[in-house]
Amino acid sequence: MITLMQARNLFLATAPVAAVLLGWQWLTFAEKVLPTLLPSPGAVFGATIESLANPFFLNDLKITLFRLLSGFGIAVVVGVGLALIGASNRYVGNVLRSTVRLLAPIPKIALYPALILIFGFDNMSKIILVFVDAVFPILLATYQGILRVEPKLIWSARAMGEPPLRCLVTVALPAALPSIMTGCRVGLIISCIVVFLAEMISSTDGLGHVLIYAARNFDTVNMFVPIILISMLGLTLNILFNMLRRRLLAGH
Amino acid sequence: MIRKSISTIGVPVLVALGILALWQIAALSLDIDGLPTVGAAFGAIPDILSDPKTIAGLAASLTRMLVGFSIAVVFGVSLGLMMGRSAAMETAANPLLMIFYPVPKAALMPIIMLWLGIGDMSKTLVIILGVSLPVIYHTFQGARSVEVKMLWSAAAMGDGRFGQLFRVVLPAALPEIFVGLRTGIVLAFITMVTSEMIVRQTGIGNVLFNALDTARYDAVYATIVIISVIGLACDSIFERIRFWVLRWSSETDELAVGSA
Repeated sequence: MITLMQARNLFLATAPVAAVLLGWQWLTFAEKVLPTLLPSPGAVFGATIESLANPFFLNDLKITLFRLLSGFGIAVVVGVGLALIGASNRYVGNVLRSTVRLLAPIPKIALYPALILIFGFDNMSKIILVFVDAVFPILLATYQGILRVEPKLIWSARAMGEPPLRCLVTVALPAALPSIMTGCRVGLIISCIVVFLAEMISSTDGLGHVLIYAARNFDTVNMFVPIILISMLGLTLNILFNMLRRRLLAGH
Repeated sequence: MIRKSISTIGVPVLVALGILALWQIAALSLDIDGLPTVGAAFGAIPDILSDPKTIAGLAASLTRMLVGFSIAVVFGVSLGLMMGRSAAMETAANPLLMIFYPVPKAALMPIIMLWLGIGDMSKTLVIILGVSLPVIYHTFQGARSVEVKMLWSAAAMGDGRFGQLFRVVLPAALPEIFVGLRTGIVLAFITMVTSEMIVRQTGIGNVLFNALDTARYDAVYATIVIISVIGLACDSIFERIRFWVLRWSSETDELAVGSA
């Protein structure tokens, strides 16, 4: 049974989204704006469904996903690995912190032309750009998570004869998992954004290129499609990630 | 005291030198046109900075960035405070923000330009969009965790809802808000550079890709160095401001990491 409170919350949560869609529909239906400037929501969603049946478009989607997940995967491995090394040694940790402090505020997208020059125009430069952008939040969250682990947990494990380095993997890493997952979620969204931008700036395939191609042809409907899809992709990955998180953090 | 300042200033300098050394070694051992030596890249910096058109473009971009950042802060802090203190506001705003969160803001540039033209309006709006979310999110977090007893005290002393919001909630949430503002200023700069790379009209992002297109590889790396230094300067100037504003609080430093 739905209580009054739940009904009110459901209304509050859906009303603004519905209002945006209705306002959009009204603007186009009452011909307040030119359809070449703002196509109707129906046209945009129709084009989105149509695109999802188009093999060329699906190929672009697949390429974007491949670049996104490869870059993100490398970032998770390297980020967590470096954070573990940094947390195990004070001097390494100090160098690591300074490196992050120095590199984090730099717009990584500016490195993109250099990556193109060194790694070529193809997948490699884009995957590395995604990695470079996603690694910092993961590294930082893992490092801070491990440093915040209750020292008594480590002492107990040490007292039971675990060597210090194994403690890091068997005790500190699982204890820092909530923080690591938070860092990974931020990194995942950043990956989505960066792969799309890289494809917009210089690419011949992928979702970002679909947007640029549509913009060059003043094909407004198809400019909305990739943006809607990248937003959906981000939301879906986020939901999958939350499910994984709930499983992994069942003990926390 | 002296030891501390050595480790806070000395280590980053050493790290920067280490990165430059790695770059130099890679350039010498790879020996490709696409990776010039450190000397060649730094040698091209005066050339780029002596072009008055580049400087004027950069100044215009930075002005837009500050205007966009300020508007986003006013909007984001107000919305965040309301969301933090009103459950109804939170439920209403959250789904819209969730949908908007994974959209690359700079990617909206082609559509925004279709609506608002190619002028300052579009370029500033994209920066506002890029900065708003982290500011809203952190203000919300800060406002939500204000101690209820402080609000009760304010209410007992006769503050109305708005009085409470600005005289109690805002100052109490300020340390957390500033974490959001720091992410925001970095994002403002990133969004600005990225949108210039996509639209390719003016600004430092355009200078960078013009250098790439005309195969002036030393200029490409010189521009990357310039962009990095501006990014670092934005962040450290903001850190100073934050430190000064929050000198009364016991807030520890948090690093800002963001992307457009």
